[in-house]
Order: sequence, then structure tokens, then C-alpha cells
Amino acid sequence: MNLDLTDEELSFRDEARTWLREHLPNEARPPEGPEMRAFDLAWQRTLHDGGWAGINWPVEYGGRGLSDIQQMIWYEEFALADPPFTLNNSCTFVGNNHGGPTLIACGTEDQKEQLLPPILRGEVVWCQGFSEPGAGSDLASLSTRAELDGDELVVTGQKTWTSYAHVADLQELLVRTNPDAPKHKGISWVVCDMNSPGIDIRPIQTMSHVTDFCEVFYDEVRIPVTNVVGGIDNGWRTAMSTLSFERGTGFMADQVELATTVERLISEARSRTGPDGVRPAIADDEIARRLATARAEVAALRAMTVAGVSRNARTGMPGPEGSMIRLFHGELHQRVYQLALEVIGPEALRLTPVDGEGVWTGPYLQSFAYTIGGGTTDIQRNIVGERVLGLPRA
Amino acid sequence: MDLLPTPEQDEIVATVRAQLESDFDLHGLARSDGASRVIDPELWVRCAELGWFGLGLEESLGGVGYGLAEETLLFEQLGRHATPGPFLATVLGARLAAETGAADVTAAILDGSAPVALAEVEAAAPGDAHLRISDLDGAAYALVVTADRIVLLDAAALDAAPLESLDLLVPLSTSPLPDLSDPVATLAGDASDRLRLRGTVLVGAQLAGIATGTAEQSVAYAVDREQFGVPIGSFQAVKHRCADMAVRAEAATSSIRLAALALAGRRPEAGFLVEAARVVATDAAVANSQTNVFNHGGIGFTWEHTAHRYVTRAQILSRTLGDRHAHLAALLEETAPC
Repeated sequence: MNLDLTDEELSFRDEARTWLREHLPNEARPPEGPEMRAFDLAWQRTLHDGGWAGINWPVEYGGRGLSDIQQMIWYEEFALADPPFTLNNSCTFVGNNHGGPTLIACGTEDQKEQLLPPILRGEVVWCQGFSEPGAGSDLASLSTRAELDGDELVVTGQKTWTSYAHVADLQELLVRTNPDAPKHKGISWVVCDMNSPGIDIRPIQTMSHVTDFCEVFYDEVRIPVTNVVGGIDNGWRTAMSTLSFERGTGFMADQVELATTVERLISEARSRTGPDGVRPAIADDEIARRLATARAEVAALRAMTVAGVSRNARTGMPGPEGSMIRLFHGELHQRVYQLALEVIGPEALRLTPVDGEGVWTGPYLQSFAYTIGGGTTDIQRNIVGERVLGLPRA
Repeated sequence: MDLLPTPEQDEIVATVRAQLESDFDLHGLARSDGASRVIDPELWVRCAELGWFGLGLEESLGGVGYGLAEETLLFEQLGRHATPGPFLATVLGARLAAETGAADVTAAILDGSAPVALAEVEAAAPGDAHLRISDLDGAAYALVVTADRIVLLDAAALDAAPLESLDLLVPLSTSPLPDLSDPVATLAGDASDRLRLRGTVLVGAQLAGIATGTAEQSVAYAVDREQFGVPIGSFQAVKHRCADMAVRAEAATSSIRLAALALAGRRPEAGFLVEAARVVATDAAVANSQTNVFNHGGIGFTWEHTAHRYVTRAQILSRTLGDRHAHLAALLEETAPC
């Protein structure tokens, strides 16, 4: 047990701090469309050119081959630099945090060489095609089918809750390749070109007014069988690896950012008039206690993140314990924004965007996604119960 | 940076666990009621011989020479087993005596011949400040914690009257505020603040240990106990309560360990992290100990089961060296590290 950073980690931190001061964009992120895609990819290219893309990815695929601790240090420095946008609100998220790590763990050499470097260079946008109208928490019951025809898979079906599908080039897609096998055994994880004929993308309106949510229809879409990652009919294992990255380290940036969010909220509570209409909000006992509790809990989130990184460093792979962090983080994120609406008084009734400086109500509406996406908190509790604690399945 | 124990630290934990499981039968201790000293002198000396009271004390001061990290792991185990006894005040008292150069006193505390009671100022009504003392019977000294100093007194100097304690294994008494002008040893200013923070970490470690111990107890019962023909842990309602307990225990344990390391390393954010960790550990211990009773159904409500011991210990510890409100207020006063 120690908190010491090695000399290498310390110089990495200083290097990151200096670089961020010089390269962080000043302008706000465009909220939608091609401008948003261009902004996100430009930032990814800037990261890549500065040597900050794929910090914990292997060197042979364009990464820096550094540790998860250094990845965490980078996220902390990013959050401290007072950025005009949040890291996870980017159409590069799936490539960097799902698709890429999954390819590193399960892909063939050809797949890795071909697909990984463009992610880091900011040349492609990935999206996710996991959930279906009939397969949410019960993901393995998915029914989008893929039939082998020569050296191609022919895919027909529907995916939903696909963020950024309308601006994406590639998709990590789960399809049923064997309808006769037990449900976990007939699934394949495949890379789908989003510009293929037969794909129809339709936007889904969200309660937070974010416009990047989509459903995707597939009508005999042809995908080369060489795009299957981790083996045909073995996609459930590949998908579990994807989700362990998402639950293990994918939200580290968000977890770190939440600490700065709570500090911003405390500043708001000092400067805004509280519920009595006279004193500042922080003079209200209930608000003060809830703010202090939020401070304690984001500190706990960071401690859990450090413990998780320590655990991964010993095992080499994110384990099911990541679900504990994901669960705690999702619910804490919601509590923080629920508290924000109490703190900001009349501003609670003014709609803001979900991302940007000094915004609270947009992120409040968006916060409902945090206990649903990537496996609901009910599913996370099942995982903790069954795979961490060893409780019997129903 | 690594928040998991080293193999050497794991070994310390294993030794502590083995000792607590063989020598500290909670029912046996409880049956010695009448006498209000909970741990008999021989057992206390055995703990001393294992080096527990000076585990984190520098060798140059007469201690074992490990640090606050190891002391934190010891106190996690004390919480996990709901172990009673004046461990906290004894460990803090040994350090206070050592840091002020009272070598004889340090030696007597460390060899187990001089247990230390904990005395804190409390007030039931305005102007009614008095001491609340735990484990006074059998103690040689009392560690008196006031707003601006921490003082070691002869236990005999307190004019104490026993109280009915919520936790029968933590005997409480009360006394008027004593004369602090002729102490055995005293710390004020920064030195007393540091000792108080150390104590806050160790109380937090016990609370985190309660959160862990109760989560483990609930999980074991959920696997073992069958109703409707299946283990109750297969029901989502029970499983999810157990998962929440595990998450709270993990949050508390990680927080306390991080805070202990920051304080030991004299980092500027230590005060913030200690207060934050203490709040999280308090909430985890109180919530988990309560849920644990419920998870055991009728058996959890009996005296025979140990579930209630965690409940009452969590209530006492959550008010030891400051209650939840005091720590929340202190946390809000701190400057955030980010």
C-alpha cells in the first residue's frame, strides 16, 4: 500500500499538465451533426500528435504502452485543466474504450493492425450495436441474425440505443450466427461498416434533448466473415470482455470529472442565494450536509478507482469488481445532479445543454442514463452478487 | 501507487485474524458481565505481546516500527470482528506518551499493564459539558480529548459514575470536566490535530471493518439459508441488498486506506481525505449493520446472534472522536485537492 508516484509517473504527470495547458481547445464542443464529429476527431488527432492517444494501449498498435495508473493520471490532469467539454461525451468514446480494448484482447493480428491505429489517429468513429428492442438487460437473447453466405455474413435485424450511429464509420455489432445453439453460444461479435448498403439509421429523441441517440435497421447487410472478432459463435465472451473494459476503466474519466463537478457545485452554493431567499445556499444546513456528503462520496469514488487500478495491475484484466465502481458511480452521478437542482434555485427551471460551462439542468436530464446504460444498476447488482460475492443465480 | 496490501501486510492481517478468531469469543466476553472490564488482563497482555499497541509507532519511540497503514489494517480487523476493548485510546495514548518523552508511561502502555480509557467531551444541554468515558474499569490512564488538546491523565483522577451503555461490551461512564493542569502528558496545537486525525482514521478503519464484517455475514447466510427450496441469496431482493453492502464496504475500506496513506505521508490533502473517509465509513457501517440484522430475519433479532453487536458498535464508533455532523462540517471547511 502506497500513494507514491514513481519518477516516471511524476514526469508523465508534469508533461501532461504542460501539454494540456498549451493544447486544450478554448471553443465549446458543437452539440450535434458533422461539426460535432469533426470537433471530436480533431481533438483525437491533437491527442495522437501530442502522444496522448492510447496511453495504456500496446506500442505496436500505436499506443504508449503505459500503465492504467498513468491513464488515470492523464484523466485527472485533464479534469484539472478546466476543459470546455467532458471526455466521455465524445463520438470517439466507443473506439477508445470498447472497440479498441476488445480488439487488443480478442482480435487477430490482421484486425489489430488494420483497425487500431485509425482509432488513435482520429480517422474513424465507432459506435455500439448491442441492445435490441427485445434484448436489453437480457442481452444474450438478441435476435439480429447473421447467415453465412460464402465468405460473408448477411445480417438482418434491428439494434437500438446506438449513440452516434449517424456519424459513425464502424460498429461493434452483436449478431446471432447460430439460432440452434443455447442463447449464449450462438452469438458473434463483428465489425460492421456503417456505410454498407441495407443499413437504415433513425434518430431517437431523448429526454435530455441529446440528438445522437439512434436505432439501426439491417436489411441483408453483407459483412466479410474476416470481420468477426474472437471467433464465430464465440461473441458472448468477446462482448463480456468489451463490457469489462467499459465497467473497469471506461468511465475513469467520468469518475475523475465528477470530483470537479462537486467542487463547482460548492462554489455555486457559496455564491447563490439559498432557499430562505437571504443567505447563500451553503448556509442551509441540509444543502451543506448533502454537499459535504457528495464531497466524501466522490473522494470514495476516486479511492475505489485507485483500488480498482491496483487490482487490475495485479490480475492484468479488469475483473467483475469493476461493477462495484460502476454501480457506485452511476448512482452518485445522479445524486450530484439532483442536489445541483436544489442548489441553483430558480435556474433549476431553465433548460441548458448537457455539456459546457456552468450547465446543470441539461446534465441533470442526461444523468438518468447513468443507471441504465452499459448494463442497468440492477444488472450491475446481479454481477456483484453472483460474480464478486458468489451468490447463487436465480 | 497501490491501494492493496503487500504480502507482508497480508500476513499481519492473517495473524490478527487468527488471534481474534481464537481468543475473542464475543459471547464469552459478554458473560463476564457484572464486572465491567471486558477484556481480562491476561488477554490484554497477549495483545501487547503481539505488538498491537505499538504497531504503527516508530522503533525509536519504543514501537514495532510499522506505520499508520498497518495500524489501519489492524483496526479494520477489530471492526470486522466487533472486538471490544480500549484499543483506540491505548494506541493513541502510547503515541502521545512517546511523542512527549514519557518513556515509562509509554512502556507500561505498550506492555499491556496500563490500558487507556477514552474520554471525550459531550453536552446533553447547553452549558452541560461533561466527559463520556469508555472502558474506564481496569484502565491506568484516560485519554481526554478536548477541542484544542489531547491529554493523558491518571484514570484515578476522574470522578466517574457508570452509565447504561447501548453496547454492553463498551462500558460507558461519565464524569465532570476534570482539572487538566497536572497531566501525565499533553499535546496541543498541530501535534494534537495530527493525533486526532490518526484517531479519526483508526475509528474509520473499525467502521469500515464493521461494513465488511456485516457484508460477509449476510453473504454467508444468504448462501446457507434456504427458503422456498432455494438459497435466499438467489432472490434478487436479497442479492441486491448484499451487493449494496459489498459496495459500501469497498467504498469505506478504499477511502480509509487512501486517507491513512495520505496522512502518514503528510500530504496536504490528508485532512480532506480523512474527513471524507470517516463520513463514508460511518455511513457504510451504520447502513450495513442495520441491513445485516434484517437479512438474518428472526435469528438476527436474537441476543444469541452477533448481528446486534455490529449495530451498537457502529452507533458508538460513529460518535467516537466526533459524530457525523462534526465530520461533515469539518469536511466542508477543508480545501478540496482538485
